[in-house]
Amino acid sequence: MIATLLVIPLTLLGMQQDSIAARLEGRVSPGIATLVQQLGVAASARGLPVDPLIQKAIEGSAKGVPAERVATAVRWVAMQLDTAAAALREGGVTTDTLVIAAGEFAISAGLSNHDITALARTGASVSSLTVGLRVAGTLSAMGVPSAENIGLISAKLRSGQPTGDLLLVPARVQAEIARGVTPAQAAAGLERAAAAQARHGPPPGRGSPPPHPPAPPHP
Amino acid sequence: MSEHEFHPLVKQLLDGDITLADLPADLRAEGEEALRLLAAVDRSVVSVPAVTWRVMAGLEQRRRRVRPWLLAPALALAAALIVWILPAKPAAPALVTVRFVLAAPDAHEVSLAGTFNRWDSHATPLVRSGPTGVWTATLTLPAGQHQYAFVVDGVRWVPDPGAPAVDDGFGRRNSVLTL
Repeated sequence: MIATLLVIPLTLLGMQQDSIAARLEGRVSPGIATLVQQLGVAASARGLPVDPLIQKAIEGSAKGVPAERVATAVRWVAMQLDTAAAALREGGVTTDTLVIAAGEFAISAGLSNHDITALARTGASVSSLTVGLRVAGTLSAMGVPSAENIGLISAKLRSGQPTGDLLLVPARVQAEIARGVTPAQAAAGLERAAAAQARHGPPPGRGSPPPHPPAPPHP
Repeated sequence: MSEHEFHPLVKQLLDGDITLADLPADLRAEGEEALRLLAAVDRSVVSVPAVTWRVMAGLEQRRRRVRPWLLAPALALAAALIVWILPAKPAAPALVTVRFVLAAPDAHEVSLAGTFNRWDSHATPLVRSGPTGVWTATLTLPAGQHQYAFVVDGVRWVPDPGAPAVDDGFGRRNSVLTL
């Protein structure tokens, strides 16, 4: 009976391998497919998301990158997922594939594992932290230095504002940069505003969340 | 083991359901023989302690194997493994409409490839708007993080000049869209 019960998850493990293989079919070379299956099953066993590995393999093949370079990139993503998960655990956040993927993106954008841990320690909900990590990664890609970046996102997460407000941060930083300030100054200014808002409450007319997510980066 | 088969009425006699007097005359002799054979069986109690102990221990083990509460750890282990292996299914994210724009006056065709279309450079073509060489596409994407690039004339991967970009791990840049 016990053996029968153990067969069920092992069967599911095989199904997961088949699922990865199905998603890669016709998009990557057989060697890359095998590598991603191995890394994917191992990553899943550690509670890590598999999708970033699959995406990176497909991306590399679509761009015509040589197989060995695709393999290196996929292994690198697997390492970054481990780093992100460890940094989140250090900050007291238990494993959740979406927040780990967001952490991996933030690291790939230039943030460190210490930055990830600092954001995890804000005590924000996992869903808010996921958005916070994505926004922090985006700010890093925009040239905002880590100190100002983490200061701003931490202040936003601690303020308990709606997620929609957090998603507006890159557009606000972009608007400040367009006025002639540096990315660091833009982020620092928004952090001061967020801290003041946390102390005194939102300004009139800003108490409710925006009805829609932010506008895309294009006019 | 005897091959002899008694008459059903004789079997009833042996079972004690009827008496010898109830049997028809032609079956009485068979009934008496059956009773005689039954009386000859030794009914004394046989005690073989070692065998009894092993049999009872075996029965006890069999009883233990079918105790339902002993299946609980196995069930819990199986459930834990299933949860461990199967990724949690996230709720469907909200959808956001996004307009992508690229100025490429000399391009013959421009498309969009990214995490939202599995980096398929043929899946999302942009449309040229007038003679200015501005190419556009409007997509409805799930809220979340997306990476993408424009593909010009099927071969040239170009990041979006109006969006932040990150290293793609292959020596190029991917544009980033956070919805």
